[in-house]
Amino acid sequence: MSRTRQLVDRLREELGRSDPMPIAPPLPKIQEPPSRVFPRRHEGSRFARETAQHTTAMLGIGHVGTRYATDVVLQFQAELAVAHAAVDAVLPDDWAMSNGWIGLSSRVQNHREFLLRPDLGRRLADESLARWKQSGKHGVDVQPILADGLSAVACMQSGRALLESFTRACQARGLSVGVPVVARFARVWLEDEIGAAVGAKVAAILLGERPGLGTGDGLSAYLVYDPKIGNTDGQRNMMSNIHARGTRPEVAGDRLAVLARAMVDQRRSGVELDLSQLTQQLGDAASRAPRAPQVRERLVERQP
Amino acid sequence: MILQPLHPRILSIRRIPNADPALLLAYGADPERHRSLGLVTATQDDPTYVALDEATKHARVDVVFAKSFYAGANHGSGPLSGEILGVLAASNPEEIDEGLRALVRCLESDACFYAADEAQKTAVFPHVISSLGHYLSALAGLSPGDAMAYLVAPPMEATIALDMALKAARVRVAKIFPPPTETNFAAAWLTGPLEECEAASVAYCEAVVRVAANPKGEVWGS
Repeated sequence: MSRTRQLVDRLREELGRSDPMPIAPPLPKIQEPPSRVFPRRHEGSRFARETAQHTTAMLGIGHVGTRYATDVVLQFQAELAVAHAAVDAVLPDDWAMSNGWIGLSSRVQNHREFLLRPDLGRRLADESLARWKQSGKHGVDVQPILADGLSAVACMQSGRALLESFTRACQARGLSVGVPVVARFARVWLEDEIGAAVGAKVAAILLGERPGLGTGDGLSAYLVYDPKIGNTDGQRNMMSNIHARGTRPEVAGDRLAVLARAMVDQRRSGVELDLSQLTQQLGDAASRAPRAPQVRERLVERQP
Repeated sequence: MILQPLHPRILSIRRIPNADPALLLAYGADPERHRSLGLVTATQDDPTYVALDEATKHARVDVVFAKSFYAGANHGSGPLSGEILGVLAASNPEEIDEGLRALVRCLESDACFYAADEAQKTAVFPHVISSLGHYLSALAGLSPGDAMAYLVAPPMEATIALDMALKAARVRVAKIFPPPTETNFAAAWLTGPLEECEAASVAYCEAVVRVAANPKGEVWGS
């Protein structure tokens, strides 16, 4: 009932009018809110449904009106939080030593500087460089380097598995492998200085990659022939998404070893490297079959 | 029969889901934020201003354009012109629909003029808004949520009645529109606590009725 109408009605009576006011038109009924708070429209696209099965990307998530459904938004926020946490994580000082590896550090002093100064992350600290020149094995074919990169979480989680499978696969292909080393606060180009210091033919840095939604635990590998300061990205070959839901570390180790073998044989890397023969040597690791259906890890449970 | 409601009629109500940016700009919308328009014409301008404000309380819409037409509904340029064109703008058509639904609800069951005399020739709009939306509050220099008495009557009635209203309640003036407005009425926006706004509105309405019944007062009247 309109408040103004009530006031006017009362005023009429005070002014001595007793004839009734016409009945006010009834208020239109306002729709009841739906019983389920977040109704999901059935996703009509078969393509979206099937594609969504093979990826952890947010596909086929439907919509409510013009917006995302609430559980999708919550999932998005939770995954973003995982990515933020991965970027924020710092590799502990003594992690390398406790695993029996040599630990090196870039010129970066702290985590904040690491994020803001990529240039410092590409050079070894003087103390580390001197120590590495002494303790490293010189003149090897492949120098593997494990590093934190942008996700120390990934490095700690699957770094060992990748390093070991890569080392094994290299040795199986007749390559000599240097002393494994762990670099802290490292950017990709740090492999140039570490490799050059021991005169390795190929430097391979395995490091945590920039976290994306739902992947805080991905590793990337960058290989370069004739490592030296001043190499560009055009001289590197890389492989990304090395994690349980992407390329598994065991498979990745094989593929990277084939790549390293080709670099040593062809004496070059990057865009100049001829990759056409590699597939034949890969064996099982070359499989390009579609990925098995993926189950997205639900970080947020929807209430029934 | 005095103080009968004179219900406004909605003459046209349309929406443009994806309006051209040039049109958006011309009608005061912001193409960065707005994409859809909702348009309405009605036979009474002031209830429509109130209803447009009501829409801003129910949906994410902005009132980008609302203007009364000269000399009122009886002198419209066409059968759909009425007395006012109001335009809502929003980022999508669903918000427009929700806003228009609130607007229609308000025009059908809340905001309307009342007849202040037996012949139904004098119209008065003694409307109380208990809680302003962000459209009228911005125009009145008040805050959303404030109470406001929206008072309209023909020039003579309005002037006497406004004086009565200001003296009858502890309200302050937000804005006074002396005659002539586009429709040749006079109006005032008063604000204060809700019950004071209501008292002012009743006093205003009563004064309009009294002036209409006795236009020449005690001294000059017969």
